[in-house]
Parts: sequence; structure tokens; C-alpha cells
Amino acid sequence: MQKKELIEKNPIRHLNVCTESNVSSRMGLVIARAGLGKTAILVQIALDSLLNGKQVIHVSVGQSLEKTRIWYDDMFKDIAAGCKLDNPYEVYDEIMHNRMIMTFKESKLSRAKLEERMNDLVYQNVIRPSCIVVDGYDFACADQQFLADLKEMSTAMDLQIWFSAVSHRGDERVSAAGVPAPCHEVDGFFDTVIVLQAAAKGECIDLDIVKDTTGVSKCGKVLKLDPMTFMIKESC
Amino acid sequence: MKDDLAKVRNIGISAHIDSGKTTLTERVLYYTQRIHAIHEVRGKDGVGAKMDSMELERERGITIASAATYCDWKGHSINIIDTPGHVDFTIEVERALRVLDGAILILCSVGGVQSQSITVNRQMTRYRVPRIAFINKCDRTGANPDRVIGQLRDKLNLNAVPIQLPIGLEGDLEGVVDLVTMKAVYFDGDNGEKIREEEIPAALKAEAEKRREALLDAASMFSDELMEAVLEGTPTPEMIMNAIRTGTLKLELTPVMMGSAYKNKGIQLLLDGVANYLPAPTEVDNFALDLDKGETEIKVTNNPDDPMVALAFKLEDGRYGQLTYVRTYQGTLKKGDTIINARTGKKAKVGRLVRMHADEMEDIEEAGSGDIVALFGIDCASGDTFTDGKLNYSMSSMHVPTPVISLAIKPVDNKAQVNMSKALNRFTKEDPTFKTYIDSETNETIISGMGELHLDVYVERMKREYNAEVQVGAPQVAYREAITQRADFNYTHKKQTGGSGQFGRVGGYIEPLEEGEYEFVDSIVGGVIPREFIPSCDKGFRKAVVKGALIGAPITGVRCVINDGASHAVDSSDIAFQLAAIGAFKEGYAKAKPVILEPIMKVVVEGPTEFQGSVMGSLNQRRGMIVGTTEEDDYTAIEAEVPLSEMFGYSTDLRSLTQGKAEFTMEFASYKPVPKSVAEQLIAEAQKKNKEK
Repeated sequence: MQKKELIEKNPIRHLNVCTESNVSSRMGLVIARAGLGKTAILVQIALDSLLNGKQVIHVSVGQSLEKTRIWYDDMFKDIAAGCKLDNPYEVYDEIMHNRMIMTFKESKLSRAKLEERMNDLVYQNVIRPSCIVVDGYDFACADQQFLADLKEMSTAMDLQIWFSAVSHRGDERVSAAGVPAPCHEVDGFFDTVIVLQAAAKGECIDLDIVKDTTGVSKCGKVLKLDPMTFMIKESC
Repeated sequence: MKDDLAKVRNIGISAHIDSGKTTLTERVLYYTQRIHAIHEVRGKDGVGAKMDSMELERERGITIASAATYCDWKGHSINIIDTPGHVDFTIEVERALRVLDGAILILCSVGGVQSQSITVNRQMTRYRVPRIAFINKCDRTGANPDRVIGQLRDKLNLNAVPIQLPIGLEGDLEGVVDLVTMKAVYFDGDNGEKIREEEIPAALKAEAEKRREALLDAASMFSDELMEAVLEGTPTPEMIMNAIRTGTLKLELTPVMMGSAYKNKGIQLLLDGVANYLPAPTEVDNFALDLDKGETEIKVTNNPDDPMVALAFKLEDGRYGQLTYVRTYQGTLKKGDTIINARTGKKAKVGRLVRMHADEMEDIEEAGSGDIVALFGIDCASGDTFTDGKLNYSMSSMHVPTPVISLAIKPVDNKAQVNMSKALNRFTKEDPTFKTYIDSETNETIISGMGELHLDVYVERMKREYNAEVQVGAPQVAYREAITQRADFNYTHKKQTGGSGQFGRVGGYIEPLEEGEYEFVDSIVGGVIPREFIPSCDKGFRKAVVKGALIGAPITGVRCVINDGASHAVDSSDIAFQLAAIGAFKEGYAKAKPVILEPIMKVVVEGPTEFQGSVMGSLNQRRGMIVGTTEEDDYTAIEAEVPLSEMFGYSTDLRSLTQGKAEFTMEFASYKPVPKSVAEQLIAEAQKKNKEK
């Protein structure tokens, strides 16, 4: 299979991360309990952007550079093997030039910091991202101003910014839009929210798009996640 | 042999270059009566400091190889390793820290925390080495110990707590106030050997009280007894010392002492500090790997009666043969014992056991647990573990940085050639970061090491110690060639020009091999190539992959498959099939879209975050791919993949770009195709060279 075909067939197209729609900036959120596959989804969103020739920054809070890189290696291998990609090594080498991983200690993550780093990268001609994924940000201590700043930055810089958030079993609080705690009070900042939950039947994990104000993703359980490979699928 | 391990101290002295480590060690040896006169590093008497035993060290005024020495202080036996300060000699510092239980971090009272202090501090943290900070050169113009203490806290994140206060500074430095005993201490006599204790000068009394208060606050965090005593107003010096010791051993407190080694002030108190605050071997947890139990970590016992475990951490070719510095972790090492090298399994007899004192030595009969001694005539590599055979332990391996720079060297004449070989043989055994090999393509001897000064020193040592004059050339990058697609071949080698003829036909294909350098697959059926000539084909392919058609670089990652062929009853021979295979390979190679590969290095630059942008820019300019950044406190590590050919001179660039505050490590990552423009340039150069031949 050629790269182009892979992009066209990739189930993640339902999230329309990278198609040429009018939506160039978006704040997205993937929320689930621990271990359901949030990072895997963020990495697949990032890989989709990369395969489309876009540049991506992966911000990892509290996780090492090496661990984050392994996520990309593994997910790409699975994607390439799954669709029998013609020249996987070449494609991987090519797209990895467009990815950069930044790892932060949580306390250090602020808009000013992120923007300063981005300016460094843009000024030094290292990378000009159109997608940022932020994995591991602690929404339990979320700073509304920080999210407001990022939303503004996303619009100003034509960026898609995707976050992951951990929900907890005992916490039943949910926003009107159906976004669970701890993001129930900040869901207004997000254009798209995906909630991961074990499917009622079968062994798959549902990707429930509970909110989308961009009009590019259809709400509902359109996609699944294979719990063995953490790959996004259209059906199980 | 130490009867009382609690009174043994194995310590290192580390710092930024020119902070006065060797000067300080000289005083330590003098006050502990190991030497009877003080010689300065660049002294007018021309003798040089005791620890700078190498001629080159004395001349340059820097320590290159660390020397081990031993002294007694107030009933404590202290093993000292004097370590080099220059960044290029980091391996010496790392090796010393691996076997030491505590360290003195020396800082210049003017220069403060410099880049190398940061590196050394990080190394100490890595090996969990408790430390005392000593602010040296308080007699210098511009001396400011308070600023240095601030830097210890801010830049090194240490809980730096001064336990002394200087009496006067710069030219007026007279002594120090000991905040534990609340006495003023002066150092009289020609060499400061007479210690005079007085009441604190009235002018300093208030300041001393204030600082003692701060010291008590910090120290009482580690002792409930002291905390209660402070509340009751009855703390004793012993209580304070015990609390400081507890905090230091936990790596949660760094006592700060001060003085001037050059002016002989404060050194005896520093020795007291070593005895009081740094750990004995029994207070440090050291772990060995049990090779019989899948390398599970085992805490060594420090018990002199248990089976012996010792680590060889430094080799040196002395006047009497190879000298191996070892540290024992448990058991007793005795003269005449048979010991076993855990790596090689080889047995060796301990013929001579000595305690080192720079380049002099004293013979001893045995070394107890926790001791640092040297052995003669033991063949081993640096980092090897010795046991008495009752255990199969290996001490955890030391962190050895990979060489980052290579240079081609050429002896000027035959005599130099012989001497150069001897020198290289010795240097590579002594120093694991110094490597040498012969480039099979250029036939040049290549030396590689940790930096330009590192290699420069070895080139000079070759000249001075071995009389080997060498010319230093430009570094070479080892390119490779590889195919990118499968290609068929069907080649007939036929020669019928007088004498016996040659005939062989080889058919098959070559294809890229994902893992490994070369693979030969024999898929011949029906005996179209007789069995005896199959190895000939393999041999021919092996010869063909030595030199690629693009730039003459070795070909890597290729599978050669033969599935067809023909032979002649008379004219086929080993050589005929070898030549047929070479021809077949060339035919296939041209069709297999070959590319030139270059070594890509994983480069990690560590430095203050403020330089992140410019460092990334510099890596980007060098065709580097930035993989990512890791930000912690105000320090950032930038990881990138950069072609080796672009990395020459980077250490100099990085130093100027970051005011010497960043450092980088580099290791081989993989071979990757060069960009088209670079490939064209390399091919043109190779063609030009061929024409010149």
C-alpha cells in the first residue's frame, strides 16, 4: 500500500485531523480512565498529521523522551504492518523529521513557556507545527487561564492542540455536554471531546465523540479502539 | 589493613579546572606528614606538586591522570584520588567517583560555580556521593564566598550550609570562624601548620551568631536530639556534627567550608570535616551483580571475613609493569592470594600489593574491605571485578562515555612507528575513552577520544614518553554503501586465453538486508553449480562487498542469493566462481539503486535552558534532526540525530555559543543515506581521487 492510500483509509479520518477543511485551529480532548489508550490516540492523531506532511510537537508531561519515542515507533510499526505499507522505513524516516518531542515537568508547563519554546523552534527554523499533542497534563489542578491562553494561541497560530485527561471511576461529575470530571468545568475550551469507554458488548473500547463544535467530526461512537494493539478501527 | 572500617575514608577531590585541587592535595599530604615540603603546581623550585607526577602535568599546570594517595589524619585512614578538572578527562573523574564514598567539591571563591563544577556535581549525584564543598582561594582579589554559596544553592540545587565564616577576605584573610565550636581559628607558622584557636573577633561576633543560627536550623532537620537541644539552648558541638553528618550522608545537606590552600588556611579543618562528615565504607551501600542469579543486585557486605570482591578501576603502566588500582568491597585481599577475574574467568596470583602515594608506593601484606590499593602484574581491563572464586559477582559497570572525536595520526619515521604502537597499546589499556584502530580504507591509524585536548595530550605523551613523533591529520568519516532494491544478476565468467581456461556462471539476485551486514543464501537446486564451488561464490560476494562502486566504501546490509548457474567439467575452479560472483555482484549492484550511507550520531546537548534555541539552531544547521527536549529545572537536554561528518569542531562552537555552559555527548546511532547533494559531492571527490591514482 502506498502512503496516500494509507492516509485515505486511516479510520482516524473521521476525526478529520488533517484534511483540508476550513478548520485549521481546534482544541481537542481525549478523556478516559487510566490505561484505556489515551496516549495511543494522541500518537495516532500526531501520526496522521505527520503522514499528511504536517509538523507536530508532542508535549509529554512527566514522561521520558525515550518512552514517548517508543510509542511512535510501535504505533507506526503496527500501522505499517496492518496496511502492508510499501516502504515503511523510508516513510518513517521522512515523517520523523517533522516530529519533535518536548518533555516537561508539570509545574513548568505554561503558555509563556510553551510559546517561548515554539518561538525558538520557529525562529531557528527547526519546526513550525500545525498540530500539538499534550499528554499527561493534570486537569485535576487545571489552570483555566492556561487553557484560555492555549485556545487563543491555537487560533492565533492556526494550531490543532489535543490534550489527554484522566478520569476517575468514583467521580461521577459530568458537564452538560457529557464531559466527565475532571474536565467537566473546562469543557468550554474544547471544540472536540472524545470519551473512551469500554464497549457494552465485545472487547473493544468505544471512542465516543461527545462534543464537536467544528462540524468536522460526527458525534457518537463512530470509532473503536482495539484494546490489544490500541489501534483505532471503524469496527471491532 | 584497617581494623576499624569506621575510620576509613575513601574520598575524591573534584572541581573546575584551576580551582586548586592539586594545591590543596599538596597541603593535605603535608599536614598529614606524608610529604615534608610543599611544592607548588607552577612553583619556582621546579619540583612541581606531588600529585602532578606526569611531566606534562607539571608543565601545563593541570592534572591529567588522577593519582591515588593515602594519608592518616587524627586516627582516620584517608584514601584520596586527585581527579582532573578538564572536561575532556571526565572519565577519570567518573572512575574515581565510582569507587569513592565521599568527595570534596572545590570551588574558586572568585569564579564560583563554573561549568565543570556543574558536570562534576551531576556526576557526584549520579553515583550518590556525599560531598563537602570547599570554597578555595579566599585570599584572591574579588573573593566572595557568599556569592558562591548562593550559586551552590541556585545552580547546583544543593542545600549548601556554611559551617565556617571567613575572618577577613582577599589580602586580609586571616583564618576562619568555626560555627560549630564558635571559635576563631588561625593558621600560624611558615606553612600554616600551627593552629591557634581564639575567641571570635568582636567585629564578627554578631555575624557569626546569625550564621550559626542558620546552621542550627538546617542541621536540626536531621536530628531530633539537636532540635530539642536548640529549643532548650543547649546544643553541643557533637550534636551539631552528628546532625550535619546525617544530612550529608543522606545527600540532603552540603556543609560548606572555606579557606585558601595556597595561603595554607583552612586545610586542617577540611581534613577534620572529611573525618567528621564524610562516610566510612560501611555507611555507603554498594551493589554487585550476582552473575549466577541473572545479574540480580546484591548489596556487598563490607565484612573483611566474607568472600573477597574487588573492583579494578584504574590501570597504569609503571616502572615495574602494569599497576592495577583496586577497591575492595568485601573480604580481605592478601599478598599471595589467587584471585579470579569475573569477566574473563582467568586466575591470577597477587604477587605484590602496594599502597599508592602518587608515583611512590609502599608494600603491604593485605588490604581490608573498603580499602584502595594497587596490584602488580595482573592482566585486566579497567572496570573488571576480582573475586576469590567463592562468589561470582561483578560490580556494576562504570558509565564510560563514548569517544566523540577522531584524528588520523601518522608516524614520521620507522622508529616513531614502533614507539607509537607501544604508546597506543598502553594508552588504550589505561583509558577506556581513548580508542585506536587502523582504518582499513585509508590505512591510517585513527585515535579517538573525548575531546581535542584529550587527544592532544595523548599525542604529546607519545612524543615525550615514547619519543614517537607523529603527524596529525584531518578526521575521517566512515561512509558505507547500500542497495535500496532487489536486482537480478546472471553473469558468466569465461576466460580462454592459453593454459587452462576459467568458466563459471552465477545467476540469482541481491536484495537489501534489514538486519546485519551480509548474508549469503544458496538456493541452487539440481547441482547446476557443483557443491564444492558454492563457498567460492560466497567468497566472491564477500570480496565484492568490501568496496562499493559509488565511492569505494564498504557495502553493508546486502543479501546475495544464488539460484542458477553453470559449470564446466575442466575449466570451472574456485577462482573462476569467485570471479563470476564478483562480476555477478557488480552487475546486480548497478541495478539495485545503491546509495551512500553516513554514520548518524545520537547527540545529547545538556545546558541551561536559556541556550535551548541557539543550540537547536546549531544542530539544525548541521543537518541534525531534533528528536526532542527534556526540561528539568533550568536545565535542558536536547536530543538530536546528526551526521558525524557535521560534528567536527562542534565542541568549540558549542562552548562559544553557550559561554562554555553546555556540554554534549555523542554516540553512534545508525547509518542513513546521505542527501543527494552530499552524495554527488562525495562521488565527485572519489572519482577525482581515483583519477589521481
